[in-house]
Amino acid sequence: MTDTVQQALSLMAIALPAMFAVILLFMGATALLHKTFPAKEEKAAQD
Amino acid sequence: MDELLVGIVNLSWKHVAMWVVAGILIYLAIRHDYEPLLLLPIGFGAILTNIPFSSAVGHEGFLTRLLEFGIYSELFPVLIFIAIGAMCDFSPLIRRPIAMLFGAAAQFGIFATIVIAAMLGFNLKQAAAIGIIGAADGPTTIYVATRFAQDLLGPLSVAAYSYMALVPIIQPPVIKLLTTKEERLIRMEYEEQEPVSKTTLVLFPIMITLIAGIIAPISVALIGSLMFGNLIKVSGVVERLSQSAQNELANLVTLLLGITIGSTMSAEKFLVVEVGIVLGLGLVAFIFDTAGGVLFAKAVNLVVKKKINPMIGACGISAFPMSGRVVAKMALAEDPTNFIIMHAIGVNVAGQVCSVVAGGVVLALVK
Repeated sequence: MTDTVQQALSLMAIALPAMFAVILLFMGATALLHKTFPAKEEKAAQD
Repeated sequence: MDELLVGIVNLSWKHVAMWVVAGILIYLAIRHDYEPLLLLPIGFGAILTNIPFSSAVGHEGFLTRLLEFGIYSELFPVLIFIAIGAMCDFSPLIRRPIAMLFGAAAQFGIFATIVIAAMLGFNLKQAAAIGIIGAADGPTTIYVATRFAQDLLGPLSVAAYSYMALVPIIQPPVIKLLTTKEERLIRMEYEEQEPVSKTTLVLFPIMITLIAGIIAPISVALIGSLMFGNLIKVSGVVERLSQSAQNELANLVTLLLGITIGSTMSAEKFLVVEVGIVLGLGLVAFIFDTAGGVLFAKAVNLVVKKKINPMIGACGISAFPMSGRVVAKMALAEDPTNFIIMHAIGVNVAGQVCSVVAGGVVLALVK
């Protein structure tokens, strides 16, 4: 196995979990945002 | 007299072969409507650059100037991202953030292809640029290629846009191979979902930019421009800018981007075995992306009560809205009363964000 292949495998081993971690963070933050600012309350405040 | 014959005298079979390649791209764009906005200018740019002593390229050539000014400076991909952001509606994603997981799973092809490209002898930067074809996202591919493999910019772009156009041909056989008929018949309910408030819509692009930027500052140009375009749209106070980004900016930059990419397809750079391998690996990336998304959805089904149709996992690639439509059509072909289009499009939107995140992660990790 060449150095480049080893580097590519290491990249995959680090990048995939890192990407999922970032996405999970996005998911959590998005869900929190959606709950914190519900559309109903905003509409009621505008009315 | 010699001056008039210089073109004919220096014409080689390689130039003619590239005219044929360019002709195929133009034919696919016009006859089959395959990504015409990009493939048509790319095809014509390839013709302009493959005329002996063409004044369009070289030190004084306008295409070379555009290449340096717009591509090597990363300006055109960033401007395209602003335009795409202004066209995106992230509401389905905000209502159902779990769709992002499918988007992440469908980026598997990027990393699998990087490993395969490394096995085939490409260096890590070239392999990373090739793998990014699997982001199924033209501007991300161009952005990463500009940083890691400028020599492969032409074939990488052609592969990315061609395979995006070929999603209806590439994805269905892979999906069918990995799913049973029973799985493809799974119905997904439509729950009453709360609408998204304007505050959330405005804060979403700012929040995503901050999180992505803090984790991987190198991704700020990519994700920041996408989210800036979206902020212009959802703010509702700069309608003129939003319309300009969606129309004038998108059209003008697409026009210049395509013809400039075409100018990188000179015969001596394009007619080499390496390019054939790159095109093949691009297809591999799309296949692995599709497989990653579908298999992830099947894995999720092992632990959830309400089963999901695993075909929607395939929509996690960024080819929007093509992939969502393809999967929705496949569900209807299995059962004409099974409408999964909203779920499929939701995952497809998530794929757009996830492909940019994947690009950012690759940029951050490959030195």
